[in-house]
Amino acid sequence: MLGYTGTLLRVNLTDNTIKKEPLNLEDAKNYIGARGLGTRYFMKEVDPKVEPFSPDNKLIFMTGPLTGTLATSSGRYEVIAKAPLTGTIGASNSGGHFGPELKYAGYDGIIFEGKSEKPVYLYINDDEVELRDAAHLWGKNVFETTDMLIEEAGEDAKVACIGPGGEKLVLFATVMNDRHRAAGRSGLGAVMGSKNLKAIVVKGSKSVEVAKPKEFLEICKKSRDMLKNHPVTGEGLPTYGTQILVNILNQSGGLPTRNWRDGGVFEYADETSGETLTEKYLVRNKGCFGCNIGCGRVTRIAEGKFKSFGEGPEYEAGWAFGADCGVRNLEAISKANFICNELGIDPITMGATIACAMEMYEKGILTSKELGRDLPFGDDEGIVEFTRMTGLREGFGDIMAMGSYRMAEHYGHPELSMTVKKQEMPAYDGRCLQGMGLEYATSNRGACHVRGYLTSPEILGIPEKLDPFVTDEKASWLKTFQDLTAVVDSAGICLFTTFGIGLPEISEMLRTATGIDLTDEEILQAGERIWNLEKLFNLEAGFTKADDKLPDRLLKEPMPSGPAKGLVTQLDTMLKEYYQIRGWDEEGVPTDEKLKILAIE
Amino acid sequence: MGRNAHTCHCAKESICRAIIAKTDGLLLLNNKYIKKEVRLASSGVQQIMSKVLMIAPEKCIGCRTCELICSFNRMEEFNPKQAAVTVLAYDEAAISVPIMCMQCEDPSCMKVCPVGAIARDENNAVIIEDQRCIGCKMCISACPLGNITFSSKEKKLIKCDLCGGNPQCAELCPSGAIQYKEATPANLNKKMKIGEKFKDLFGEVYE
Amino acid sequence: MKVKYFAYIRNYTGTKEIEIDHCYTLKELLLKLCEKYGAKFRNKIFENNSLSDEIIILVNGRNIVHLQGLETLLNPEDEISIFPVVAGG
Repeated sequence: MLGYTGTLLRVNLTDNTIKKEPLNLEDAKNYIGARGLGTRYFMKEVDPKVEPFSPDNKLIFMTGPLTGTLATSSGRYEVIAKAPLTGTIGASNSGGHFGPELKYAGYDGIIFEGKSEKPVYLYINDDEVELRDAAHLWGKNVFETTDMLIEEAGEDAKVACIGPGGEKLVLFATVMNDRHRAAGRSGLGAVMGSKNLKAIVVKGSKSVEVAKPKEFLEICKKSRDMLKNHPVTGEGLPTYGTQILVNILNQSGGLPTRNWRDGGVFEYADETSGETLTEKYLVRNKGCFGCNIGCGRVTRIAEGKFKSFGEGPEYEAGWAFGADCGVRNLEAISKANFICNELGIDPITMGATIACAMEMYEKGILTSKELGRDLPFGDDEGIVEFTRMTGLREGFGDIMAMGSYRMAEHYGHPELSMTVKKQEMPAYDGRCLQGMGLEYATSNRGACHVRGYLTSPEILGIPEKLDPFVTDEKASWLKTFQDLTAVVDSAGICLFTTFGIGLPEISEMLRTATGIDLTDEEILQAGERIWNLEKLFNLEAGFTKADDKLPDRLLKEPMPSGPAKGLVTQLDTMLKEYYQIRGWDEEGVPTDEKLKILAIE
Repeated sequence: MGRNAHTCHCAKESICRAIIAKTDGLLLLNNKYIKKEVRLASSGVQQIMSKVLMIAPEKCIGCRTCELICSFNRMEEFNPKQAAVTVLAYDEAAISVPIMCMQCEDPSCMKVCPVGAIARDENNAVIIEDQRCIGCKMCISACPLGNITFSSKEKKLIKCDLCGGNPQCAELCPSGAIQYKEATPANLNKKMKIGEKFKDLFGEVYE
Repeated sequence: MKVKYFAYIRNYTGTKEIEIDHCYTLKELLLKLCEKYGAKFRNKIFENNSLSDEIIILVNGRNIVHLQGLETLLNPEDEISIFPVVAGG
């Protein structure tokens, strides 16, 4: 089997040992790679009841068979551990150049076990692999750490690291690579911090081979042409980036505003939009490794109190600090986003946590005495200041570092936290987009937009135009999308490719890269297998049907105004249908029959 | 010298730094030689009717697809370090620069080769004939832009040969940063200007 | 009636939004806009006289695909949004 390097690194941080071991090819065939394969390894080795910050929790970095190949947007790798924010399986992926470099060094992935006594980083230069002292790096931010490690290891080194957020166990800390790219959600950076692992530096000079070079080249070229000629991937995303979604969600009445309290319409949306970003602050667009979309934003705020330079903001981050906090100042939004990258924290949870605090402040639950200052909706300096304080766990930032659920619960008002399984819902209102509501409730890593992405058919009309207000058929669409995104994440390519290519192209790339003879249906079934495996982890970790829910605000408070006025998410109807379509029982537990079909032990 | 000599903050600095970074060691070792060759390379462009590879760093999104296809085209494997093209990324300057052999009109690699293994083919590409090459690596030192490397895996030199007239990097480049264009007077002028810029930049470095 | 333009549609219209006299159907409105902005705009909006796949039109926040398409009836106070097909996430 090619596409894979066939070797894993196993690094025990407690006793400082490093072993190389052959990749389990049977598992690779069944779980593809990256997210699926990493989760498979994790579940074989770790008790689902483990405490996320215990040395017994493992931290897995895993690439896919397409990572580092000519497959379009092949820069992805996945980080897997039990997630501190949610207590679910945590799987978060990232682009950039780090994942491919790991494969060029000869490894499909790394399994970290135990906990180091003192700060260390892992240095990999092909066959030379060692743990090195990281005392001089501890406390440094993501950019400083990356620069120092590249200085030490050479210009061609790629770095994944944590910032102060991960070191200080902010529950939504990220793993950052290539400075600006994040494995962002559910706090895997904090797991890395709990192990005293500051960074991984990798340099590789080996090759990634594929099983059928000629056929692989052909399908890669075809896929690239399809993306180039598609209006979304060939024009919209490179020109405007993901922030282009602000206006269309806002006009549709699906842009959650002021902690989801207002009617899915933010009156200043256009000031925070992709159009404005492009016009005023965009320096250039940028692509991750092997990408022919290039949605990345290099942006500069040239002057003023929010002067800054970096990448982003992406749509969900821009929404969290923007509409969700009622902030109209794109300079402040960008600055807050840059600080998240610098300190290594998730901007979605960060912004949404500040939004929650803003509502608590408005209601008098939080006072300026506790916060150290006022924090009304629309406070542009507030989002920047509290983001910094949270990343460093200073002042009230120490409370915000737990995320909005624990913060709101601490003050007796968990209903004000817009979370599912304690993770903040991103930028699409489930009362307007019914399918997204179901998606949040059923996502295996807490509320998430990239475990399915029904926004695509509900708002953008890709691949078909579904009415967002209607619940019919959403369950079956969601199942297919969840399974397909599991395939894409596990293959090692970017989810954005699916705006322009589909299962047939991705399957053909997988077949010709690996040489594994699977039909398109069997590959999609591998996605279903991965989804069910993650579900099993969560069940064993103690989650039940009662956790597949949404905040009461979406279920009981009808949208107060805007195009979706009067709507709530009709979750019960959709959830029942969803469990049936999944072949799960009424409690949302996969049946023995389903597990047998999927060949999950 | 080198990195600190350039004091302006334009894109030019990045190009300058890109070139320096790639050839840093060589500059220190062989600066006399390089000064001379840059002059030759940039002044000797003749107007011949064929295609040339044009680079536009301002369009490069840094995806390194060129590196992928280049290595694959030669060895059917993906390995950026075995590619004849390298993308140098400069985050702080928000620029990346694809660099490969410019197929100089008066190639110093060809002149320095002791066995005459370097020749020009019908596509105006400067190519290395593997059968003649003795692997002395003089050409690596001679190239002013550091565009020849040695593959320890294949035991041979890696240098852009324009893929026999259909450069795959240009074909797959998603942003138009690498293009293979007719050598019209306008294109040649542009290419010559890039050459002049390189020369200026090297000049500044040594002042 | 208010008509709003987004993303690169603005390149063809040169403006973000306009007020326009009442048109009874969406088709009538679009034809009027095509007249106003010319061939480039028209080519983006229509493909062989039907609505182009690369365009999303909302009337008061509802995609016209889920209303009556080009025959959707308009009221004087309606807000119409015209987008190229975009995505993100």
